[in-house]
Amino acid sequence: MSGRILDGRAHAADATLHCDVCVVGSGAGGSVLAERLVARGLNVVMLEEGGYWTRRSFDGREDLAYARLYQELGNRATDDQSVLILQGRNVGGGTTVNWCTSFRTPRTVLERWRDQFGVQGLDEAALTPHWEAIEQRLHIAEWPAELMNANNRVLWDGCGKLGYSRGLIRRNVHNCANLGFCGLGCPVDAKMAMNVTLIPDAVEKGMTVQANASVRRLLVGPRRVDGVEALLLDPETDKPTGVKLTVRSKAVAVCGGAINSPALLLRSGLAGNGNVGKRFFLHPVVIMSAVMPDRVEPWSGAPQAAYSRHFIDRGPGKVGFILEVPPVMPLIAATVFPGEGERHQAILEQLPFTQTTIAICEDGLLPDDVGGTIRLKDPTERRVSIDYPLRPFHFEAFKEACKEMARIQLAAGANEVRSLHSVPVRMTRVEEVEAALDRAPWEPGRVRVATAHQMGGCGMGKDPRTSVVDSQLRYHGLDNLFVVDGSVFPTSLGVNPQETIFGIARWASQFVAAGAA
Amino acid sequence: MGVHPEALPGTELSRRSLLKRGLLGGSLLALGGLGFLALRGGRLVPVPPDGLRVFSPREFAVLDSVAHRLVRPRAGWPTVEEMGVALAADRIAERTEPSAQKELKQLLGLFENGLAGFLFGGRTRPFTALDGEEQDRVLAEWRDSNLAIRRTGFSALRTLVLAGYYKSPRVWPALGYPGLPAGIHRPEAPEWRGGEVPRPDGNGVWHGDPQR
Repeated sequence: MSGRILDGRAHAADATLHCDVCVVGSGAGGSVLAERLVARGLNVVMLEEGGYWTRRSFDGREDLAYARLYQELGNRATDDQSVLILQGRNVGGGTTVNWCTSFRTPRTVLERWRDQFGVQGLDEAALTPHWEAIEQRLHIAEWPAELMNANNRVLWDGCGKLGYSRGLIRRNVHNCANLGFCGLGCPVDAKMAMNVTLIPDAVEKGMTVQANASVRRLLVGPRRVDGVEALLLDPETDKPTGVKLTVRSKAVAVCGGAINSPALLLRSGLAGNGNVGKRFFLHPVVIMSAVMPDRVEPWSGAPQAAYSRHFIDRGPGKVGFILEVPPVMPLIAATVFPGEGERHQAILEQLPFTQTTIAICEDGLLPDDVGGTIRLKDPTERRVSIDYPLRPFHFEAFKEACKEMARIQLAAGANEVRSLHSVPVRMTRVEEVEAALDRAPWEPGRVRVATAHQMGGCGMGKDPRTSVVDSQLRYHGLDNLFVVDGSVFPTSLGVNPQETIFGIARWASQFVAAGAA
Repeated sequence: MGVHPEALPGTELSRRSLLKRGLLGGSLLALGGLGFLALRGGRLVPVPPDGLRVFSPREFAVLDSVAHRLVRPRAGWPTVEEMGVALAADRIAERTEPSAQKELKQLLGLFENGLAGFLFGGRTRPFTALDGEEQDRVLAEWRDSNLAIRRTGFSALRTLVLAGYYKSPRVWPALGYPGLPAGIHRPEAPEWRGGEVPRPDGNGVWHGDPQR
C-alpha cells in the first residue's frame, strides 16, 4: 500500500507517528537509506525541513528556486561571510539542485579513512555492489563529449593544450534535454534526483514523507533514542505553524547533511566528547571568469561535463584541487562576480561571452587542517554558527589554482581573464598571470570563496574520543541512533560527494535495519 | 542611548582606541543601534504603500541609497525605482530568521550612523546624507577595510541589495539572458503525493528529444 508525501499543513494539531525507522533528511543519504529500509519491509517515516517541490514549480527562475530549494534562500554562508554555501533544502535535498556530477570515492580516500581514522569494512569491495545498483537506477553514465557545452569546452580544450589530465564527467540523468537548469530543479524530470527516483520508489512501498518538518530534537534515553520531535512549518511562509509532530521509532537515522546533522545532535545534548560539529569540511572553491571571443552562454547545456584532477596531489604540505565548471545565471552572477555600479554592470553585460572555471580544494588532508566547526547560535532558530577559518594553506592553494585556471582559460582563447577579488585582477596575456595574482590580496573577504560540498562534523572512526559515529555509522554509545550522510566523512573527498553518500548510505542500510530490530 | 559624534575627541589615536575597545567588546554591530543623535540629518525616502515588514523607514532609506550606487542608470537597464530594490530587500529579509534580521538592521544602522562614520572614516554625516561619490567612497572603505568585520558587513549588504535588483526577470534582457526556453516548463504537470493515486508515468522519465 502506498504511503504519502505530506506537507506542513497535513496536521491541524499536535500528532504522533509510530514507525520502525525515522529518517531525518531526504537528500542523498536519507533517500538511499530509506528506500533500502523500505525494501527490507521496514516501516519508515522520513522528515524533511524543506518543502516538496516538483517540476510543476521548476520554471527556471533563480529567485524562486533559491528561496524554495536552498538553505537560507541560497545565502547560507560561514559566520564571517567569507564562504558562500550552496546547499539543498527540499524533498530530495542537494540531489534536487546539484549539477549531476557522479564520482565513485577515490580509493586513496577510503584507505586514508581506514589507516588514519580506523574506519573498518568500508572499502571499494564493500561499496562496489552498492555503486553498481545506484548507477543502474539513476542511469549514471559519462556525458558524451559531443554534447559538451561551450562553458565546459574551455576547460577541456585548455587542459588539452597545456597537457593537463582531463576527464569526462558521469551524470545521473535519463533522457536529458541538455538544458542546463539542473541547479534550479530539473524542469523535465530528466535528472535522476531523489525527488523523482528513490523517494517515490519508497513511497510506493509505504513510506511516509513529511515535508516542512523542522526536527528540533532527538528523544534521547539511556543508551537509546526513542524518536524525534519536529515543528511543522507553513509551506508558504516557512514559519512554524505551532503544530508539533512527534515520531516514535525503533531507530533514528540523522541525514541532514554536514551542517544540520551536527546541529541536531548538539540541540539534543549529544556532543560526542566534543567531536560533534568538529572537522567540518567544505571543499572551498575559488573561481576565475574569462571573456571569450565567441558566445559561451554559461547557463546553457549540461552544467558539468569536463573535469581535471591534474592538481589533486600537489606534494607535501599543499592542498590539492580539482577543476570543474559551474553554470552561471544572472542572479548568482550578480552576487558572486565582483564590482559595484557601472563596472559591475559592464561585467554582467558580458555574461553571454563569460566562461567560468572553479577549483575545488581538497580540505582536511594536511595534518594541521582540522577544518571548521558547527555550533549552535540560538537553539530555537534553524540558523547555526558555521565557523570555517581560511588559513594560509588554503590561500596558497587558492592562488595557485587561480593561476592554473587563468592559464587554461587563456590557452583556450580567452580575451581576458578575471579573478573574483573584490577588486578583480584582470589579465590578458599568460605572461602576466604569475605576478598579477602574486600581488593580489589573499585574505578572507577579499576574494570570493564558495562551496557546494559540505562534509564532516559527525566523523566516523574507531575511537569515541576522536569520532562521533563508529564504522557502522552508529553514534558512539547509543545503540539505535545513526548518522547517514556526508557529515560522517572523516576528511573531504577531492571529488563531488553525491555518489560517495549514495554508496555509503546504501551500504549502511544493513546496520540501520539491524539497529531497528 | 545616543552618543553625539562631536562629543568625541577627534584624534586618530582616540578613534582607533575607541574602535578597538568596541571591537574587543564585540559591540561593533551594536553601534548600529545607537540612537537618533548619531543618525540626525539622514535622508528619508517615501515608503511604498505595501509597507515595510522588517526594516524601518531609515533602514529602508539606507538600502535605497546603496541600491542607487550599486546599480547605476544605464541604457537598456531598468532603474532602481522601477525594480523597487529596497522593498525587494525587505521582502527577502522577511524570510530570514529573527537573528539574521537583527544583524541586517544593525548593519544598516552602522552604515548610516554618524558615530560609526566618524570612527571609520572621520565623517559625521549619515550615509544617506552624503552625495553619490562620497557614498561610493564609503562603500569602498567597507569593502577594502582592514577590519574583517567591515568586509563581512559590506558583503552581506551588497548581496542583499543586488539580490533585490537582479532577482527579477526584467533585468534579463540587459544581460542577454533568455531564461528557460519556452515550452519546457509545465505548470500543469502532475504532482504526485502518493496515497491511492498511481504514480504518473512521467515522474522520473521525460519523453522529450534528448538531443535538444
